[in-house]
Amino acid sequence: MRDKLDIEGTSRTPAIAFDFAGNHLKITGESYPEDVTEFYGLVFGALDAYLSKLGKGTCRFDFELIYLNSSSAKAVMMLMDKLDAAAKKGAAVDIYWYYDKEDDTMQELGGEFGEDLENAKFHLEKMPD
Amino acid sequence: MSSDDLFAAEEQVIAAAQQLLDDGRFADRVDGALYEELLKDYQKLFRATRRLMKLGDRNERQLNALGQEQRRANEIITKKNKELDSLSTKLSKYLSPQIYHSIFTGAQNVEITSSRKKLTIFFSDVVNFTETTDKLESEDLTNLLNRYLTEMTNIALEHGATIDKYIGDAIMVFFGDPESHGVKEDARACVRMAIAMLRRLRELQAEWLELGAEQPFHLRIGINTGYCTVGNFGSDDRMDYTIIGSAVNLTARLQANSEIDGILLGHETFSLAKDEVAAEEQTPIKIKGFAEPVRCYRVLGLYDDLAKEGTVIREEADGFKVLLDLRKHDRAEAVAALEAIVARLKG
Repeated sequence: MRDKLDIEGTSRTPAIAFDFAGNHLKITGESYPEDVTEFYGLVFGALDAYLSKLGKGTCRFDFELIYLNSSSAKAVMMLMDKLDAAAKKGAAVDIYWYYDKEDDTMQELGGEFGEDLENAKFHLEKMPD
Repeated sequence: MSSDDLFAAEEQVIAAAQQLLDDGRFADRVDGALYEELLKDYQKLFRATRRLMKLGDRNERQLNALGQEQRRANEIITKKNKELDSLSTKLSKYLSPQIYHSIFTGAQNVEITSSRKKLTIFFSDVVNFTETTDKLESEDLTNLLNRYLTEMTNIALEHGATIDKYIGDAIMVFFGDPESHGVKEDARACVRMAIAMLRRLRELQAEWLELGAEQPFHLRIGINTGYCTVGNFGSDDRMDYTIIGSAVNLTARLQANSEIDGILLGHETFSLAKDEVAAEEQTPIKIKGFAEPVRCYRVLGLYDDLAKEGTVIREEADGFKVLLDLRKHDRAEAVAALEAIVARLKG
């Protein structure tokens, strides 16, 4: 398994900073890729490989998204499902959803994502200034 | 209708399904568990649908807002572009079209810089302008001068000249920068332009006489070809695109020494244009700053024009050239010379 997955952000795709060795995973920026399955396919693959070895370990996942389209929202829900499933198997998973303090929709959306989680711990936080 | 109302039917389905479970209507536990799992997935899918719809609506709002912002920005840009267009059109009147074009297309930087180029320079001046115009009212003088400069400028532009400046009634233009058709063609174009100007001047003189001007304008023209320093001179705040160098000074001297309504060429211009232009060498003139007297040539006209008038016979082909100036040679003398050539050919 690889130690890291780093993908630089672009105007259409978020930055991916998965530090598997440090158990800290992060997705930052705007998300409206031209091909959602191609972009998130790579992310899902790396996350699946990591979670399959996590066992009872700990993991923190930060979402810091400013804008996302509907397809990306579906991909985010799939990421959360994977994290929640890992938590169900015994891992200590913390999910942080950071929102812009002036963006009510992203705050509300994060809250709703959190409601779906049954096992992972969810944290709704304002983005630092 | 609120967004909740949009999902009333789904809410009812969920409530009814939940009621079934709560009422313990499933005798078979496995069936009940499967049904509960199915309901849970349906609820999750339902939440996801609402969420995605909400997100889609929000993105559409943002897109619309951005669209409006862009329309406003476009309106401002269009307005500013119009202002800029109007301003640049006004400014263009103060610049030669070639200079204006090369600046506005970015081909030339507006900075203090210069280069050496071989140019053909033209100077013209109205003979005794002050005396000629002394008796005119200011308005009449303005009209006369502007009409004259407009006509001459049009001819200069038609021939591809770069207008350097107007100094009162004097005109200074050059050929070879920023556009050049080669030194030879630049020189020829300049001489053709000068001849066209004099021709137009004769028409204007007739018009002015008709209108009551007692002493219409007469010109002296000087043309010379040589290396000049061309570029922007001045300060960063105020600069002129112009040319400097001894070739420029010499042109001004040639102009001063030209006969009235005549064109005086420097030696290099004559050499470059002599196939097309009939000119007569004059007594070399002594010019301050030049050690030797300067060779110069009085323009008689374009060979093509002279041939039409019948004053010149000109035939030219590859390896064959006949030029007969009937103003310089007696017809009988010319016939005799040509017959001698024919005899040699037959001989």
